[in-house]
Amino acid sequence: MDKVLLKKLGDPEAHKIDNYVKAGGYKALGMALKMPPDNIIQAVKDSGLRGRGGAGFSTGLKWSFIPKDPTIKKFLCCNADEGEPGTFKDRGIIDWDPHLLIEGMIIASYAIGAAKSYIYIRGEFALGAARLDAAIKEAYAKGYLGPNVMGTGFNHDMFVHRGFGAYICGEETALLESIEGFRAQPRKKPPFPALAGLYSKPTVINNVETLSCIPAIIERGAKWFSSIGPEKSPGPKIFCVSGHVKKPGLYELPMGTTLREIIFNHAGGMLTEKPLKAVIPGGVSAPMLTEKDLDTSMDFDSLAAKGTMLGSGAVVVMDSSACMVKTAYIINRFFSHESCGKCTPCRDGTPWLTNILMRLEHGEGKQGDVELLEGLCANIFGRTFCPLGDGAVMALRGALKNFRNEFEYHAKTGRCLG
Amino acid sequence: MTPVLHGISILTDSPTVVSARAGALEFLLANHALDCPVCDKAGECELQDMVHKYGPHKGRHTEKKFKFHEKDYALSPVIIKNSNRCVQCIKCARVCREVVGVNVLAAIGRGDHQEETSFFKTQLDCDHCGNCIEVCPVGCFMRLPYRYKARPWDLKGADTVCAYCATGCRMVMEHRDGTVLRARAQYGVGVNSETLCARGRFGFDYINSPERLTTPHVNRYGKLEAATWVEAFDYIKESLMGVSGDEFGGIVSPRYTNEEAYLFQKLVRDVFKSANVDSTSRWEASGVEAFAAAAGMNEGGVSVFDCMEADTVVVIGAQISDENPVTDYIIRRISAARKMNVIIVSPRAMKLDSSANLLLRVAPGAEGAVLNAVALSLVPDKTGGYAQTADIAKDMIDALVAKLKASASVAIIAGTEFLRHPESCAGLGFLKDSLKSSGKKVLILPALDRCNQRGVWEMGAHPGFGPGYAGVEKRGKGTHEMLEAAMDGGITSMYAAGVDIVSMFPDAQFAQKALMRLKFLIVQDTFMTETAKMAHVVLPGATFAEKEGFYTNQEGRAQIIRSLLPPPGKAKRDFDVIKAVGEIFDTGFGPKNPALALDEMRKTNPMYRDASLAFNNKRNVDNKLDIKAALVKAADAAPPSVKCAPAAIAPKDDKYQFALMTGNHLFHSGMLSKRSVSLTGLLNSAVVEICPEDAVFYGLKPGAKVIVKGAHYEAVMTLTVRPGSKRGVAFIAENYQDCPVNRFFKKGAGTPQVAIRPCS
Ligand SMILES: Cc1cc2nc3c(=O)[nH]c(=O)nc-3n(C[C@H](O)[C@H](O)[C@H](O)COP(=O)(O)O)c2cc1C
Ligand code: SF4
Ligand code: SF4
Ligand code: SF4
Repeated sequence: MDKVLLKKLGDPEAHKIDNYVKAGGYKALGMALKMPPDNIIQAVKDSGLRGRGGAGFSTGLKWSFIPKDPTIKKFLCCNADEGEPGTFKDRGIIDWDPHLLIEGMIIASYAIGAAKSYIYIRGEFALGAARLDAAIKEAYAKGYLGPNVMGTGFNHDMFVHRGFGAYICGEETALLESIEGFRAQPRKKPPFPALAGLYSKPTVINNVETLSCIPAIIERGAKWFSSIGPEKSPGPKIFCVSGHVKKPGLYELPMGTTLREIIFNHAGGMLTEKPLKAVIPGGVSAPMLTEKDLDTSMDFDSLAAKGTMLGSGAVVVMDSSACMVKTAYIINRFFSHESCGKCTPCRDGTPWLTNILMRLEHGEGKQGDVELLEGLCANIFGRTFCPLGDGAVMALRGALKNFRNEFEYHAKTGRCLG
Repeated sequence: MTPVLHGISILTDSPTVVSARAGALEFLLANHALDCPVCDKAGECELQDMVHKYGPHKGRHTEKKFKFHEKDYALSPVIIKNSNRCVQCIKCARVCREVVGVNVLAAIGRGDHQEETSFFKTQLDCDHCGNCIEVCPVGCFMRLPYRYKARPWDLKGADTVCAYCATGCRMVMEHRDGTVLRARAQYGVGVNSETLCARGRFGFDYINSPERLTTPHVNRYGKLEAATWVEAFDYIKESLMGVSGDEFGGIVSPRYTNEEAYLFQKLVRDVFKSANVDSTSRWEASGVEAFAAAAGMNEGGVSVFDCMEADTVVVIGAQISDENPVTDYIIRRISAARKMNVIIVSPRAMKLDSSANLLLRVAPGAEGAVLNAVALSLVPDKTGGYAQTADIAKDMIDALVAKLKASASVAIIAGTEFLRHPESCAGLGFLKDSLKSSGKKVLILPALDRCNQRGVWEMGAHPGFGPGYAGVEKRGKGTHEMLEAAMDGGITSMYAAGVDIVSMFPDAQFAQKALMRLKFLIVQDTFMTETAKMAHVVLPGATFAEKEGFYTNQEGRAQIIRSLLPPPGKAKRDFDVIKAVGEIFDTGFGPKNPALALDEMRKTNPMYRDASLAFNNKRNVDNKLDIKAALVKAADAAPPSVKCAPAAIAPKDDKYQFALMTGNHLFHSGMLSKRSVSLTGLLNSAVVEICPEDAVFYGLKPGAKVIVKGAHYEAVMTLTVRPGSKRGVAFIAENYQDCPVNRFFKKGAGTPQVAIRPCS
């Protein structure tokens, strides 16, 4: 498969608009602007593209929820908050190929009838934000943005909004609150953003990778896109491989590549002789898998069938030197630190879990700690306002399910097993 | 999230719900301080109640608790904070932003470290209303004056009405062993529901003041001395026997109950056979008639909630945010939730400006001119008569007119500026008629600054009309004319019940001189006021917490007040005092008690024919705050229409750059609040307020001492600025003892002009 999303990775000149156009950039935009918007939405639907931000919702379907009434203002927001530990794919696109994202966003905006779009970028991505600012400026200068885009009468403005270091801003409604200048906390749904999003106007929120797929779909057709990977989750996918492998990094592969292939064929195999113990397939909220699951196809449905998820596509590989109690502690500490504070089970439950895990890890575990962890998980799961709290529990439950003995050993002896 | 839909069935007791509820409570307690034994809230804490009811009754949390801080910290002179007890409901920050509109509280930080406080946890520059305390379900926000003073079960309470402004907020006052400790609002009760302003919540402590009058005083030999009631009444009998008719005048406080005001005007009219009765010393009687007529107060009560259903609400001549804070909350809260226009016409900026979509900054007293111009544009064949409004930009008037034209219903909230500048009332009436004739629904809500101002008028405590605005045989003298008559000997004796003429009459010197001429002056009050010091007999009365009766708020809502305590020492309830004075001259004088007074009112005053005190202290089942049954009915009569000539306009004098405006400060109401320790703690000495542009222009520094100089008086005070106010306007509240603002006034000279310069 030739690369769609990461073809410019590492090319120090690719982010400039002239080079982008020379390589065929903004051709798709020209094509799209000649299509009726509904046809674009249909093409995206037909392509089978599912959101790369984690939930895997059909992108075309999401766009089709936007009211068609031209008198209503609409917005597009690109979610570039990329906060899930282990995830660095969006950054690969933004830093090296910002115009790809911008082109995808203009097409998406045209399709849904948005005159303004925002890129909400994680505050730490200084280079990315600067690249985007510069690229947007270039696009204005060349007439891809601003009034009368490419002479078609379509007007569009694009803004970069920098975040300030909160994971919750990646949750789409918290992101909207943050753009509006409020404290980032999730909103209640319904109403969904497609009806009442940014400034209460219909809004589409898509991930960077999702939007970056759009130009290729327009240029090469929905058929081509849907022929890549499994039928139900087609397309190219970026995997962020980290942990105990020889060659950690970004890999753009067809959706549905197996874990085994990713780790051993692409990422160079395990770092040392130590055997693989566990692998997190889709960011730290995804429950971990073990050796026996390595042949699972990496796509939304196959992973869901295994009780975990593709999430952001962050593959974290751990060998036998990794202590699962420590892993669970570190992951949980992340969630409790990032809990926005809106709902009680997540706000007060995750720090409690963290405290217990910390004790276990530091050899101060007690009889009954494991049962207490499970009991608290039950009081959190399904009772939180947004999926962050659930994610914390899913991760911990995954560790407990596969490695309960390690937790019990820690509780009893204060030390790691083996 | 599952939206609630029609016909949905919700299980509140399924095993999942029970476990989720107990689970959430367990989480809330995980980091909770659990210091109930020293917490002011214990005993009425929602968290305690919930845990008691829904468990868990055994804790599993053994980790070290996170603490926000070791010691509670004061956020204001009246608010103290303990964040370790917080349940993170954010109601405090929301009430602050969405209802009070000051935005000083917010949730700062994230997750379990999130703390609802002000930035840097410093003392707040806020309204000090304490609504954060009221909505906090636990013991995080607490009243500083109430701290460690009592447990909820030590308190005895009475359901009553705030006695400051005429918003008429319902509240519960509570005392422990005779000391009033707390006033609190109740969710779903009264127009105010759970909100109060700083005056209502903290300003009651004057009731406990050691300076209260506890015994009558008599001045027989050139000095006021404590006396018995018998001595006082004997002296009154001797001095007033034979005094009758126009020689006598009486003024009753707009803080007296309806029963008391009713009895008082009967005393003046029936016992002393005098037509000279009034209810305030601040504005002219003819202005009151003009205002009552223009506002159509005789047409019955107008609910503020009905006003808020209009397409357009115009707030004019009213310092709503400062004088009627809870009315301001109601407007802010409702207007934020629906599509409507809020238009504010006033010289001073106010907090409510942020809820308005059209602001007109006008010169003091220009309200009438604006209304005239607007009304003229509404009447199709009379367009363009803007002659009188040179000061107001035409496009502003046009914008106002456009909004009114596009509205099917209009509510006008008209305040006390109309009483200070009664010539404006004609404009108000004119606009009302124009709107009506163009087929629009019009409501006018008077915004008044004394709790029972409307009630005492409707009881007939006015020289131009009797109870229910009924006509009087002979027009009497209002306060202004009484003082004039006192000056030239026409009036020899006066009875001032609850009014401090010297402090409030707009020309202090004149008032003092006039009163000095009197042969006999009775003052009935709760403190030794400036006027009481001049009296021959001082009769100790009661505060609102010590009497039974009812008030009529600005909307015309009749609301019961209840007695919490007996009056201190030998002081008596004012009804009993007035009755006793009447009985000196006519043993049959009555009605003999407030209940009989209400009966008589029901029979003789059509506005009050259905007045009932039974319904209006209950909580509404459907949580609707608007009890329509409490609104007074239409009167049979109308106040006589009088036309008020514009007040003399002092010739422009370059020496004085500012027009002086007066009114009440947010923390004060008349001179009464000066006796409250909490309120004087918030603000005690005089401040003069101008707009920042003027401060820069004249080189004046906010916070610095300045000299305010008028033609008749000058005083040193602190300068403050209010962004957004009109240039050339200086505001001094009428509540400072160190600068009685009425000394700037000269009777008949109109709006005083003042100069402000730095104190060298
Ligand atoms: C706590 C939380 C954090 C999230 N963080 C991100 C993120 O960093 N980037 C992202 O694209 N989506 C994130 N999401 C998912 C978004 O809410 C949303 O589903 C996504 O942006 C939709 O885009 P898509 O349809 O293109 O996947 C997060 C969701 C949650 C609940
Ligand atoms: S689950 Fe956590 S992050 Fe999500 S709303 Fe609740 S407290 Fe906030
Ligand atoms: S109202 Fe009280 S409990 Fe609720 S967030 Fe504010 S301080 Fe905390
Ligand atoms: S708004 Fe008026 S009635 Fe209400 S609490 Fe304040 S002063 Fe009292």
